[in-house]
Amino acid sequence: MVKRIAAMLALVLLLTGCSTDQRILDRLGMVQTAAFDSTEGGKLLVTASIPVIDPNTEEHREILQAETDSVKEARLVFSRQTDLRVVSGQMRELLFGMDLAEKGLWKYVETQLRDPSVGFSVKLTIVDGKAGELLAAEHKPHADTGRYITHLLEKEASGNNIPATTLYEFSRDYNDDGIDVIAPIVSDGSDKVRVSGIALFAGDRMVMRVPVKEGLIFALCRGKLKRGEAALDLEGQSGKREVAVFSSVTSKRKVKVHRLPDGRFKVDLYVSLQGSVLDYTGQRTLKEEADRHELEKEVALSIEDKAEQLIRQMQQKKTDALGLGQYVRNSLSYKAWEDMDWREMYPEVEVKCHAKVKIKDYGKYM
Amino acid sequence: MPKQQDQQERLSLRHILQEFEECADLTQREFPEIGAYIVYFSHSVDNLLLINQVLDPLSSLKRKKDLEQLLCESQFVPVTDSKTAVKGILGGGVAIFAADSVHLIDVFGPEARSVTESETESIIAGPHDAFVESATTNISLIRRRIRSSHLKVIHCAVGEVSKTDVYILYMKDIANLDYVKDLEGRIRRIETDAINDGGMLSQYIEDKPTSVFPQFLTTERPDVSSSKLVSGKILVLIDNSPTVISAPASFFEFFSSSDDYYERWVLGTALRLVRYVALLITLMLTALYVAVTSFHYEMIPESMLLTLAESRNRVPFPPVYEALMMEFTIELLREAGARLPTKVGQTIGIVGGIVIGQAAVQAGLTSNILIISVASSAIASFVIPSYLMSASLRVIRFGVIILAGVWGNMGLVFGIAVIVIHLCGLSSLGSSYLIPVAPMRSRDWKDVFIRAPFFALVTRPTQNQTSNPIRQKNRK
Repeated sequence: MVKRIAAMLALVLLLTGCSTDQRILDRLGMVQTAAFDSTEGGKLLVTASIPVIDPNTEEHREILQAETDSVKEARLVFSRQTDLRVVSGQMRELLFGMDLAEKGLWKYVETQLRDPSVGFSVKLTIVDGKAGELLAAEHKPHADTGRYITHLLEKEASGNNIPATTLYEFSRDYNDDGIDVIAPIVSDGSDKVRVSGIALFAGDRMVMRVPVKEGLIFALCRGKLKRGEAALDLEGQSGKREVAVFSSVTSKRKVKVHRLPDGRFKVDLYVSLQGSVLDYTGQRTLKEEADRHELEKEVALSIEDKAEQLIRQMQQKKTDALGLGQYVRNSLSYKAWEDMDWREMYPEVEVKCHAKVKIKDYGKYM
Repeated sequence: MPKQQDQQERLSLRHILQEFEECADLTQREFPEIGAYIVYFSHSVDNLLLINQVLDPLSSLKRKKDLEQLLCESQFVPVTDSKTAVKGILGGGVAIFAADSVHLIDVFGPEARSVTESETESIIAGPHDAFVESATTNISLIRRRIRSSHLKVIHCAVGEVSKTDVYILYMKDIANLDYVKDLEGRIRRIETDAINDGGMLSQYIEDKPTSVFPQFLTTERPDVSSSKLVSGKILVLIDNSPTVISAPASFFEFFSSSDDYYERWVLGTALRLVRYVALLITLMLTALYVAVTSFHYEMIPESMLLTLAESRNRVPFPPVYEALMMEFTIELLREAGARLPTKVGQTIGIVGGIVIGQAAVQAGLTSNILIISVASSAIASFVIPSYLMSASLRVIRFGVIILAGVWGNMGLVFGIAVIVIHLCGLSSLGSSYLIPVAPMRSRDWKDVFIRAPFFALVTRPTQNQTSNPIRQKNRK
């Protein structure tokens, strides 16, 4: 017994004698946000934002920049710039510049995925312009831009209009057949950071953007909404613009795939939406049930219209961000799917959108 | 008959006085008219009894014949060998030396503390009496609760010098006689000079004396003791100690308190769960702090990261030293509080509270969050009803903290694994210490992790191996 204990103690001492894997919290520079841009020389410009812990300074964050060939090499450069040990285990946000996104992101994402200290729930966002500049910029009431962007996107994603994309979702959609990656786009609006759209990818290259206005239509077509908010533009009867604002929106989509006689696919996209009308600027009185039904139909028509338009654009850019390919794949045998080049087939697919709208109530007044 | 003469010679008054030579506390009195001597220890006899039973009758006698008659009464036990006479006098008897015989009368009645409230196991609702040092009082407290002739008492004397009375109590038809025999054998095999307390006795008869965990439940509450008895456990009472041993015991028994049964079952269940959480907190919270702040910064939630890092910022030591230092300070405080009289103890509490609270943080010795974790684990350790168990867990905690400081979460898990493995290997009177979890006895769980309503508590614990497992009729 005594011998065993002695051996155990010796083991503890020996094994820890040259311990280097200790990472004591207050000696770490924990990268909160990393931004990636391509430079003119074809190199990579990495910008990292590290929160400053010392309560005695005014500064809330430290910005480190390095121009390197690889992502992880940047960390070595960072280490030379700071007295802290730079680690990426507390990273929450990856920002990619637009130019980089258009060239392809997979190799940068892959590097992050390979690092065990980087979590799968790290968010991935595209920046309209230079990511590093946005991160380095000061946005007055917000001491830490990285954190600000993270929270902004978290909040937006919870309202369902703009999806927040995590590393996990990026790699899942990238590696899966029949669906393409999407990511939110933010841009620098002088003193504010603004969510300005959704980036749609073909493979790992960004090929198209959906403006914020159509974010809702895109979200309705892509999947379920829960407790969302929606403002829908309608062409009024008199040609005047009308707006219907819905709250507590829940929506579902269903996809049905048919094969047309000529070998092409026809996809029926059923979108059903429920919500209560908060605001409506048109002529109808919502008190009347008949009027409400009319409004429902009108909204449905407008959704169908816009959705089909959006999908047509996506087909032109060959990005299947709605994941229609998955339904096509499921309707086929494995061999048939393997033999088919979906990306080439996709633009030929005939997509029809069927929307169904239900007004649950029109507010609590009256 | 030279042999008998020899014995008679040995049991003479002279011989007894020789035995008690230089015992200044021995009292002897002579009654010259009847030629009688009495010898006793005045401090271990009851004065009233002494006067009524011995002094008055003897002094009223005039003739030797009357004495012989008196001594025929049954309370006067004739003694023939001197060993018994000595033992009797030591046990609170009066030895009466007549011309040709020696008699003993038991008028035992030493000074004793009256029955008071338990300090180590106080409860809010329920009986408040606690055992005292006198074993006879203690047995009477139990007999008062269990009025059954099936409550059997075995007597042994332990200690080669002290000859302390030890009583083994069990319910015939409920307790497993194999356990009783085993326990009695263990007690009879003890060879030592003196045993002063139940806690000490239990260490002599445990299955594994080297373990940190107590393998028998000790209590000083008569209500707990009697409920253990009727559930089929065996009690060991030792004279001169309020601590009663209950055997066999399982690890989980240490986390139940008698008021679980006196309060509503929902409350009892909630309190039990709280105690198991307290077990985890007291073992692991500070260790987790050490592991997280020195190895696993990734685990910290974003919103806590800055506060945690900020509070660590001024601390000059690595987290493991910081934590050990604070835990040590808490132990100092606790020990000081336990040793000092209550009035001074309060001062210690205040001074300690300031020292390890605000001041230590302001001086930059520790971080706020560590203080919280150290304090919560100290408080959690006091939640555990058994003082012995909570003390054991507090000691183990230091080991877990060191492991966490050396290997992070892996060390923490390693430490917990070692503890669990050790617990699995323990036994109490040969029955598993981790029952009803290992071996699995799901029927018992409703009185271990929760306190189910009484209609559901039909059976006695499996561990007791009782021949009579049904406790009550199921009303539902």
